[in-house]
Parts: sequence; structure tokens; C-alpha cells
Amino acid sequence: MRAPHAVRTSPSATVRLAVLGVLLLVACARREGCTGDYCGTLVIATAGEPQSLLPPLLTAAVDQAVSDQLFLRLADIGRSTNTVGDEDFQPQLAERWEWADSVTLVFHLDPRARWQDGRAVTATDVAFSFDAYNDPAVNSPFRAGVRAISAVTARDSLTAVFRFRKRYPEMFFDAVFHLRVLPAHLLRPIPRDQWSSAAFGRKPVGDGPYRFVSWKAGEQLELAADSTFFLGRPHLRRVIWRFTPDLQVAVTQLVADQADAIEVLGPPDNVKRVRAVPQLTLYPYRGATYGYLGFNLAANGDSSRPHPLFGDRELRRALVMAVDRERLLQNVWGDAAKVPPGPEPQLWWIWDPETRVLPHDTAQASRLLTRLGWRPSDHDGVRERRGNRLAFRIMVPTTSAIRRQYARLLQEQYRAIGAEVELDEVEPSVFLQRASAGRFDALIAAWNADPTPASSIAQTWTREGVGRSNYLRYLNPAFDGLVERASSGKGGRAATQRAWRQAIELLNQDAPAVFLYASENVAAVHRRVADVTIRPDSWLALLRTWRIPAERLIDRDRVER
Amino acid sequence: MTAWLVRRVAAAIAIVWAVVTVTFVLLHLAPGTPFLPAAETPVDPAVLQRLRSQFGLDRPLPEQYARYLREIARGNLGESFALHRPVADALAEALPNTLTLAGAALCIEFVLGLALGVYQAARARRLGDVALGNATLFLYSVPTFWMGLLVLLVFGQWLRWFPVGGVVDVVTHESLPWAGRVADRLWHLALPAGTLGLVGAAGTARFERAAMLEVLGQDYVRTARAKGLPERRVVLGHALRNALLPFVTLFGLAFPFLLTGAVLVETVFAWPGMGRLAAEAIFRRDYPVVTAAAMLAGGMVVLGSLLADLLYAAADPRIRTGDG
Repeated sequence: MRAPHAVRTSPSATVRLAVLGVLLLVACARREGCTGDYCGTLVIATAGEPQSLLPPLLTAAVDQAVSDQLFLRLADIGRSTNTVGDEDFQPQLAERWEWADSVTLVFHLDPRARWQDGRAVTATDVAFSFDAYNDPAVNSPFRAGVRAISAVTARDSLTAVFRFRKRYPEMFFDAVFHLRVLPAHLLRPIPRDQWSSAAFGRKPVGDGPYRFVSWKAGEQLELAADSTFFLGRPHLRRVIWRFTPDLQVAVTQLVADQADAIEVLGPPDNVKRVRAVPQLTLYPYRGATYGYLGFNLAANGDSSRPHPLFGDRELRRALVMAVDRERLLQNVWGDAAKVPPGPEPQLWWIWDPETRVLPHDTAQASRLLTRLGWRPSDHDGVRERRGNRLAFRIMVPTTSAIRRQYARLLQEQYRAIGAEVELDEVEPSVFLQRASAGRFDALIAAWNADPTPASSIAQTWTREGVGRSNYLRYLNPAFDGLVERASSGKGGRAATQRAWRQAIELLNQDAPAVFLYASENVAAVHRRVADVTIRPDSWLALLRTWRIPAERLIDRDRVER
Repeated sequence: MTAWLVRRVAAAIAIVWAVVTVTFVLLHLAPGTPFLPAAETPVDPAVLQRLRSQFGLDRPLPEQYARYLREIARGNLGESFALHRPVADALAEALPNTLTLAGAALCIEFVLGLALGVYQAARARRLGDVALGNATLFLYSVPTFWMGLLVLLVFGQWLRWFPVGGVVDVVTHESLPWAGRVADRLWHLALPAGTLGLVGAAGTARFERAAMLEVLGQDYVRTARAKGLPERRVVLGHALRNALLPFVTLFGLAFPFLLTGAVLVETVFAWPGMGRLAAEAIFRRDYPVVTAAAMLAGGMVVLGSLLADLLYAAADPRIRTGDG
């Protein structure tokens, strides 16, 4: 029996009250505590997730970004990203270093450095780390990067000595960049062949500005500032990565104010979308990626024979000249990328717009094709020679909208000079498998390079990379010689840059590829975050200096865990 | 009944074994290879070779298959190629999330679908029925991922009523009391479960409408009306009970659809469930994760179907006695 004056609520009002109740419950339950200059919380939206946080096994960009906060190097690249010599490097674990002779480098560790379990970081840790990176049982992808170092020894607890097999310009870079120092006392008891599945990789103890808090697979990873960090207390108290499988969802989280930062916005549409959001600031920085249309110089699936089309250097030159790279770039990227002067990302210090390239000249390309005997057929306009059609397939991965767009535009540009192009859109795993095996005519690849040209160019464009990353089977001993000279060059930075320019100009003349784009990355960070500095090779390398002033703190900055 | 149950369980085991075998063989025969990075970065072939050897991929396929079955029999699902952890751990984390999502979606699908179907049947060929019929047809035709993106855009980005993906609030969840944590989870569940459930409810409503219309034409319904029973009681008390029987079959069929739909919804809503785990594993050619996920999904579908059969038998005595 209902009371005479009972209020009867409608169903919609009941729902509204329930939702309000839930929201109030959530809002009231928040304990808002932190105030001051060290309260910031940064939520990073990211499309991807680390596979392991054990430094020798890092693979993806997000692995490196997290690891940068947990594990220190002996020294770090400076803001110039110059990898030659040691003058631009900044001290990290090592407070100083000196050259004992031309192939012996001595690091003096900072005595204040501590592992987050309280133990001191010692030269034994450094020697142990080198040994681990070099051990086939660990199977580190960075092993090749330290192969020029013959030994690392501990002279005393704070002095580590590196000996190199030879003298070359990027010795210092090789000694410090690939090698993040590991805690020997925690890792030594674990058999090396079990490191990949060791619990340490999912719950690491580091020596960096942040310490590990939690990692929920598929959801989030949280780090907390180490207030005792010897190089200075980080301002942001909590850093949380939100994992999503899709970049668009990550961008939506950012736009909806449910995340504070993203490393790369990706395609121009995303940049446009975020530019319109008042709470976000964009930070463009030099990208580490370059993309190209590469011609397989060996026959499709048979590396012992030359490709029936692309084995001909003159034909390749005609195909390079037929491409209007600037127009393609404007169509696909707008102003978010540049046409590279060769196989170079914008990140590299050797970037030189004055490098000579083959010009875009469709008339000359057509004349060259005709001279080579490729003449337009009567029925469909596709050029033929001795009954063979000027036809080939371009392979692209289905997951790259940028490359698929390029492929379609290239198809049109080649149609205009009488070349017939068909597209093979394949899964990324199939793309890489077929690329490695040489089972393609042409492909559009995008290389994500480390900060130095020496290892990247050697692995991708010289004999050293055949069977590995030199998918195109491009072989020119003269080019290899120039790369070797540039890599081991003497005479300082200017001379080294000239040597690289000479090598790349020779490559451009051989035309194994059309270098299409070198992207510019654009990060987005919430406006309340101040002192944001992004180093192009590792966007969060300087995170510990980012801060949120006390007057700009919002609710999520104050939440106590 | 016991013999029937034993036969069904044996058939279920055979089906799951077949799913494992087909998945294993297809995965290994499909193009693509494990251990490759997501993008073009220099890869040392020696590193790849050592990984292949470490995981036994350099052995002949029958040998790999026999070893895999042996390990499964021992309860070992293997080590993930990409996640650097046991597959069982990864599945144990993802499965509760998928069951939560699928369970909530199932509730929405059946409660909403049933209500709409009954409402439409009771007002057949009138304006409400026609309008709802078109609306459900539209929803039924919409791809789940598209609906997910739309919902995310409207309720997540524009209106900001609900979070854009995730299971909990990454910043506040740990600091909430238990009631707050439950509310936080429900708040995050609303959009993905709503999307999955709404699309399913559209199909269920159409099915239930047809079943109800068939029942409403039966003699006993006419008799009930002739006795002067109110229409509400005729529909809900007499017709609905009989129209529910085919609904049980639909329950058995709905589960596989929810699981396949969950793959897309989990991706769109960054929901760390089995569907997303399996989808990412397929792209990485993480064979142990894909095979184990297929086995688990197959097992759940078979179990759902078995449950539906049992419910059907409980609801219809003719099936229990073998008269049907």
C-alpha cells in the first residue's frame, strides 16, 4: 500500500538519479591531496604496448620511452642529436669520461647513482651489462650495435673501461647509446636464456628518474617519480601510459581530455583534429622515419638473377624521374613531411637539402624509355619491348594508410608514362616476410632509423645488409666504399658530412628507389604542462624536466594513489 | 538423459580438438612469420633464427603439432612469442574482461530484444511496430565496429558522458573505495556493452516479434481472449511463455556472435579482452596465443550450445522424453 502523498518518479527520472548517484559516489570518493610543484600526473595515450621492459630486449618505440625513465645510460645524446665524437653528449650515470688512448674510453661513474632497491650503481654493473648485451643466449637486437667494442672491464667500483676493436667517429655513440646499464645483483641469478620471460621484464628495478609501479596488460603502465633521483627530482609525480590498439582511439582520448600527451599524432588529419582543441599544444619535431618506393634489383623470388625490369639501371632512372615527389607529398602529407634528399630521416644530422637528386622530368623519362626500346602499344598505351609489357606490382602493408595512398598515386603517375602498375596490399607480417625473402617487384617501405646514419645505411643499402634489411639487393662496391669511408671518416664533422653526401649522391644516380618522404613528428601535450622539451630521437628523454605549475593543477594531478 | 549428456560432452571435446587442429595447421601454413617487428627496423637474421629454434619452429610441423598436443594435455598452453610470458597468464587476465563484456551485452541484448519484440508483436503493423521495425533493421545492418566508433565519438568525445575506452579510470581507480571502483567499472563498461548489446538486441527483437506473432495466432490465445482476459495478460501470461522456447536456441547461437563481435568492440574501446588479445596475436603471428584463444573460444561456444540444449530440454518435456 502506497502512502497517500508518496512521490512517484518516472523511469527516466529514476535513471537520471541513479547516474547522478554513481557520479557523486565516484566524485566524493576521490581523495584530493597533493599540492605544490611536484604533483603533476601525466597520462600518455599510446597505440601499442611494451613487450618487455628489460633493456636488452626492447623493440618498439613505447618500450624505449618507458625504459628511458627507468634505466640510465652512461651518457646521453645531446639536443643536437649529433652522434659523431663525444662533445655533444650529456653525462648521465657517468659524471665524466676520458680517452686513455685512441681505442680506450674510461668512464667515471657518479657516486650518487643508486638502484631503486638502494644498492649503488657500480662499474661491475656496466661490465655485466656489456657482457649480457653481447651474449647470444640473451639474443638482444642491440648486439650488433656493440660489436665494435672488444671488452668492458671494471677498474674499480666507479671506473669502467671500454676497449674498441678500431677507431671510428661514432665510437662514443656505440658505447653509450645501445647500452642501458643493468643491475647485476638482480639479474645475475637468472639464467640468460630465460631473461626474455623473466619477471624482471614486467617488474623492473631501475636507476632512472622514475620507478616502476604497475603494469596491467592491455590497460596501463604506471611509473612514479623517484624523489631521491641523484640528477634532480622529477616534477611530474606520476606518469601513466594508457594502451589502446588503435591510434584513432588514442587521439580521441586526448581530444576528450582523458589523456595528456601523445608521442606522434600520425596522419595530417589527426594533426588538424588536435589543433582545434584548446587544451592541447602541438610540438613538432624531426622524425626518424623515411619512406621510399624501392625496386627489387633481383628477380622476384630468385636473388641469383637480375630483375627483368629493375636490373636495368637506365630504366630505374627513368622511373625515378617520372615521379613528381613534391606533388605526391602535398597530396598525402601536406606540410607534415619533406621530400628527402636520399635515404635519410629528418632526424639525422647529415640531412643536406643540397644533395643532388635525379630531377622530376616526365618528358626526359619518356624519351629515355623510348630510347631503351620501350614503346607505347597501340591498344592500351602501356609500353612494350620485344613482347614484354612495362608492368610491375607494388607491395604495401594494409596497415599503412599513408603508403597505400602513395601506391595509388604512384600508379596514376606511372600510367601517364606508359607503365602499368598493380598493387599488392598485404598484412604487415607478410610484407616483412616477402620483403626479406625478395618476393616482390617493388615495395613502399618506411624505415624507422636510429640516430646514426652509419649503422642504418650500412644495413639497408650495402652488401652488409643483403639477406637482412637490404631488401632491394642493391649492390654497388663503389657506394659501399664511400659508406665505409664516411663511417670511419677522419677530419671532423664537416668532412664526414661531405663523405655522406658523396655516398648518397652516388646512390641517387643508381636509382634503386624513389625517396618519397621524411616525416616530421608532431606530439601533443596538455597546455598545463610547462617546460616541455622534446628530443627528436626519444621524445620523453627529458621528461624529468617537464612540470605542471601548482596553479595549473587539475583533479587528476592531485589524486593520491 | 545421462547417455545424451555423455554423447554431447564427447562431441564437445571432439569439436574443441578439431578447432585446435585446424587453427594450428592454418596458422603455420599461412604466410607471415613470427618475431618480426611491427615496422621496418633492421633485424638480425641470427636473432630470428635463434628465436625460431628456441620455440621449436625449426622442427617439422607434425612434430610441432604432437608436442603442442602433449603440452596441452599437461595443461601447459606454452609461452607467448611476443608477450614474453606464459599464454595461460595472458588469457587469465583477458578472459574475465571478455566474459564481463559479453555477459553484460547478452543481458542488454535479451532484455531489450525481448521487450522490443513483444511490444512490436502486440502492436503489429501499427506505427510503433513499423518505426521500431525500421530502427531494428538499421541497427542490425550496422557493422559493430562502425557503431562503436560512432558511439565513442558522440558519448565519449562530444558529450563526454562516458570514458573513451579502457576498463577503469587509470588515474583515480586505485584510490576509490570498493563502491566507487564498482561504479567506475560499470561506467567504463556502459559504451562497449551497450554497443555490442544494442546491435544484438536488434536481431533478437526481430526474432522475438516473429515468434510472438506466430503464437498470438494460436487457438489457445484466441480462447484466452474469448474468456475476456485483459490483452496484457494474454500477451505476457499466455503467449510470451510459449514464444520463449525458440528464444533458448537463440541464446545458444548468440554467444558465438558476441565473441566475434567482441573482437571488434574490444579493439575500438581499448578493452583488454580475449578478442583484442587474439587479434593482436594474429597480426604478430603469435601462434601459441592464437591457438589457445581459439581453443578457449571454441570451448565457450560449445559450452554455450550445450547449455542452450539443456535449457531447451528443461523447458520442453518432449525433448527430454525423446518425443520431439
